[in-house]
Amino acid sequence: MPGIFSRKEKKIVRDALWENNPITFQVLGICSALAVTVKLETAIAMSGALIFVLALSNMVISALRNFIPSKIRFIVQLCVISTLVILADQFLQAYLYDISKQLSIFVGLIITNCIVMGRAEGFAMRNPPWRSFIDGLGNALGYGGVLVLVAGVREVLGNGSLLGVKLIPESFYNHGYADCGMMFLAPGAFFLLGAIIWIQRAISGYKESP
Amino acid sequence: MRRQDNSYTIVFALVVCALCSLSLAIVTESFKARREINEGFEIKRNILKAVHLKEPLPARAPQETIIKIYEEKISGVVIDREGNILPGRIPGEEGKGKEGLPLYIYQEGNDVAAYCFPVEGKGLWSTLYGYLAIEPDGMTIRGITFYKHKETPGLGGEIEREWFQEKFRGKRFWDTASRRQVQVLLIKGKVSEKMPEEQRPFYVDGISGATMTSNGVSSLINNGLQTYEPFLKKIRSY
Repeated sequence: MPGIFSRKEKKIVRDALWENNPITFQVLGICSALAVTVKLETAIAMSGALIFVLALSNMVISALRNFIPSKIRFIVQLCVISTLVILADQFLQAYLYDISKQLSIFVGLIITNCIVMGRAEGFAMRNPPWRSFIDGLGNALGYGGVLVLVAGVREVLGNGSLLGVKLIPESFYNHGYADCGMMFLAPGAFFLLGAIIWIQRAISGYKESP
Repeated sequence: MRRQDNSYTIVFALVVCALCSLSLAIVTESFKARREINEGFEIKRNILKAVHLKEPLPARAPQETIIKIYEEKISGVVIDREGNILPGRIPGEEGKGKEGLPLYIYQEGNDVAAYCFPVEGKGLWSTLYGYLAIEPDGMTIRGITFYKHKETPGLGGEIEREWFQEKFRGKRFWDTASRRQVQVLLIKGKVSEKMPEEQRPFYVDGISGATMTSNGVSSLINNGLQTYEPFLKKIRSY
């Protein structure tokens, strides 16, 4: 059945989500993955912002790729990326004010997220716009998926809640259950991320080249 | 023009810059109204937080609830530099050719429970904006909040956290013996370990790793207290 995605395009998405996942395989974008994953809500907003920025920046840069003078290509890429990041930030400030306050500077820091520049230079400069859009979408989802996973575990273990709804009943606390304080701090995300990378690589059979 | 030409490069860069700026300007301008609503609301919420309501705000209270509580409990007036209330004025129109200092009064029933006013000053990276609430005795801090800053998250950024803001509650800026205003200072380390018992009400634990931000907080509090001293003098009874 011919869908909107050709076989090659499906492979692009699958690669980005699994075998070539930007976080677990390329280990990029770790900084924000540690900072915004205390709660699921912020992780979802952050992933949304990255999906918007990465898919569109890939598409725009790919559409311009035959016109960009190679001498200033990084500057042009950054210009496009930072414009999109500021747009996303403005949108969050206008419509999701509380979340944007919690994300503080980390939305702005998407500009320096290695995934975005990496896909622009590594993929969008050599591929047509639609395919680049899909590649951006896939990579952002690969990043967002790991973020949401880490944030979900951290919020449940660290705060006993999910999306702000208390999951662990009060009676548990009365019988000596305590939230895991480490999960609330950055090291908790480090350990989780390490575990996720380990599990993912064990399943996909990835071997470090000697 | 060929792609390697310098003139092509310059023209291309100018076009990209112009298009990016244009789209940013359009979007920023069209979100302006929404942003102002959010900021106005944030100010109300911070005033309520600074004055420490008798019944604390419910967690995750919706905007309407907060605005309703605000309108019930807080009244805004404008005072002049001598501390007199200017009749018929409301906060929010300062700087538009009109002199005056905004002052928010928190009433519980018929009694004034706190006075609150905006404070601002330089931190490390940016200007810090907040509200300072004073007990009706005119000598004691009741609460402080910060609603806008660009300090480092985890270091200076901790000023927006409750654990830090709670440390100001009950600190004094008036020495009843000498009848003089004294500075409230943030110090390195813990007040309970470094200061003699009788000095402790005038000092607050600073944030370790954020000395510049802590100094900024000290000076913005004392500048604010000095500006409002003519008014505070009037409410103070010895």
